[in-house]
Amino acid sequence: MSLESIRYRDWSGRLRPSWFACWPIARTGLLLVLRRKLFWILLGLALFNFLFLFAMIYLKFQFVSQRPGMARFIDGILSAATGTGETYRDFMSAQASVTMLLLAFAGAMLVGDDMRQGGLTFYLSRRVGRWHYVVGKLLSIGLLVSLTTTIPALILFVQYGYLTDSTDYFSENLGILRGILGYGLVLSITLSLLLFAMASWLQKTVPLVMSWAFVFLMLPALAELLRSAFDDRHWRLMALWHDIRLMGTWCFGGIDTNRELQLLPPAVVIVLLVCVFSLIAIIPRVRAVRVVQ
Amino acid sequence: MTSLLHLEQVTHFYGSVCALRDVDLTIEPGAIGLVGQNGAGKSTMIQILLGLIRPSQGNATVLGHNVRSAGIRLRGRVGYMPERAATVSGLTGIEYVALAGELCGMPRRQAMRRAHETLSYLGMEDARYRRLDEFSVGMIQRMKLAATLVHDPDLLMLDEPTAGLDPDGRAAMLALLKTLAARPGKSLILSSHLLGDIERVCSFAIILNQGQVVTAGHLEELRAERQRCYQLQWDGEATGFLAALRKRGVEVQVDGDHARAIVPDDWNTRTFFVEAQEHAVLLTGLEPEEEDLEAVYHRVIKSPGANAAIA
Repeated sequence: MSLESIRYRDWSGRLRPSWFACWPIARTGLLLVLRRKLFWILLGLALFNFLFLFAMIYLKFQFVSQRPGMARFIDGILSAATGTGETYRDFMSAQASVTMLLLAFAGAMLVGDDMRQGGLTFYLSRRVGRWHYVVGKLLSIGLLVSLTTTIPALILFVQYGYLTDSTDYFSENLGILRGILGYGLVLSITLSLLLFAMASWLQKTVPLVMSWAFVFLMLPALAELLRSAFDDRHWRLMALWHDIRLMGTWCFGGIDTNRELQLLPPAVVIVLLVCVFSLIAIIPRVRAVRVVQ
Repeated sequence: MTSLLHLEQVTHFYGSVCALRDVDLTIEPGAIGLVGQNGAGKSTMIQILLGLIRPSQGNATVLGHNVRSAGIRLRGRVGYMPERAATVSGLTGIEYVALAGELCGMPRRQAMRRAHETLSYLGMEDARYRRLDEFSVGMIQRMKLAATLVHDPDLLMLDEPTAGLDPDGRAAMLALLKTLAARPGKSLILSSHLLGDIERVCSFAIILNQGQVVTAGHLEELRAERQRCYQLQWDGEATGFLAALRKRGVEVQVDGDHARAIVPDDWNTRTFFVEAQEHAVLLTGLEPEEEDLEAVYHRVIKSPGANAAIA
């Protein structure tokens, strides 16, 4: 068909408010990640961990009635299948480790390419403001984190409760639900802000992966080294991953030692500072892009 | 009828640099060309008209919306095609255009349906499921146009739409723009360095220089303001003939056996023949010179009036 054979047709309809544009931006980001085979390998790893635990919890409950010895054996070898707050925290931490790897490689595609290849110009030349774009992209990264951490943890929580044959598990463990949501939120917000900030400045995959590795591998290693050298636990606060996990533990109500409690306030401050500085770093990058050249 | 654009004393500064100064314009709907050198203020004007920046002083309305208060909403009725690639790599053609629709506020289903329609209209239906990364420059330009058209805006703003296109692609794009500009109730603003493109598509031109509107009007009116020029050709010795013309106030630029003559306002064409006969010169050619937009542009930019206005 060509121009001569098709007439231009007008369109009339009600346009949605501008904030609705955040969702297509977030959805497109997710779509782009899910389209790459490399990311499916990493997502597969996360899925494998989830399915393994899912199967173990199921088998445990099957054995409880039929072969209690076997159930105890599973409990013994798999401390993560006990259905306590620790089960979900450890599971989410493990999932988040895989997610971190995924984010390191996906950051350039989610944010960096928009800066380098004109994607941001495309977004901003529509009925979209800079904040809509920022929120949309943060939502995209946050959803990716939630898809691999919070949602599987919630599924396991529901599965555990369902297999106990009574609703008591849910009512008695509302704190766990709060913990899953709280830890998930801390992970999503911190990682999405940090990734957005780093990807908007570094833009390409290699420098981004190297910087990400510095923050989440080198710094913790250095922190551990300093801790053992000076015998001071405060050095651990240098590791963002440790701080996030400490906040997660607090969300699950799992902080019962005085020493950990002492580290919690500075850990919260560090995580908050990382979030604030990331946001401050994002703003000039997004503002710098000119829609009209 | 609401005017398409109405600018009142619009001035814009970037720091201490004045990018636009005291722009007063009222433009009726139609196909409008925006002409000017680099740094003339075109981009600033487009940004103001898109609601991307607020003018430092003055007021502007586009399609009846005040750019100060309408902001983002304005872009629901305006479609802007940026000069740079502005694509989201990894998306297919149809996803890209539908996303543009959704970003303009269209519900997803309608955006997808409309994206199919628009791509078919632009002759891109075979490419809609291919990834943008595989597209040629010409196809990217068409995709960008489809993304601009998808929400059926009342005003299209196109920034260098033929940039990077080969001659065939350029001709096809211009034909398309001409068709789009002819749609009832729709308008188009075309910003380009290629004045021939503007001449082929637009009926109205705004010429900017150093942040000021030097002239704005229908192309025919602008051409009518031209200095009257003729191309002359002759046989034989014409020194006396040319001297006689100069005496009568004609500005003659000789180049071999032909010359370009710029005549005074009250000139009668017959005078050429009278003088030629008197000086025994055989005029073999006498042709009024057509002024294209480029000539209009150079004349207007160089005119003392323009410089006085800027000063």
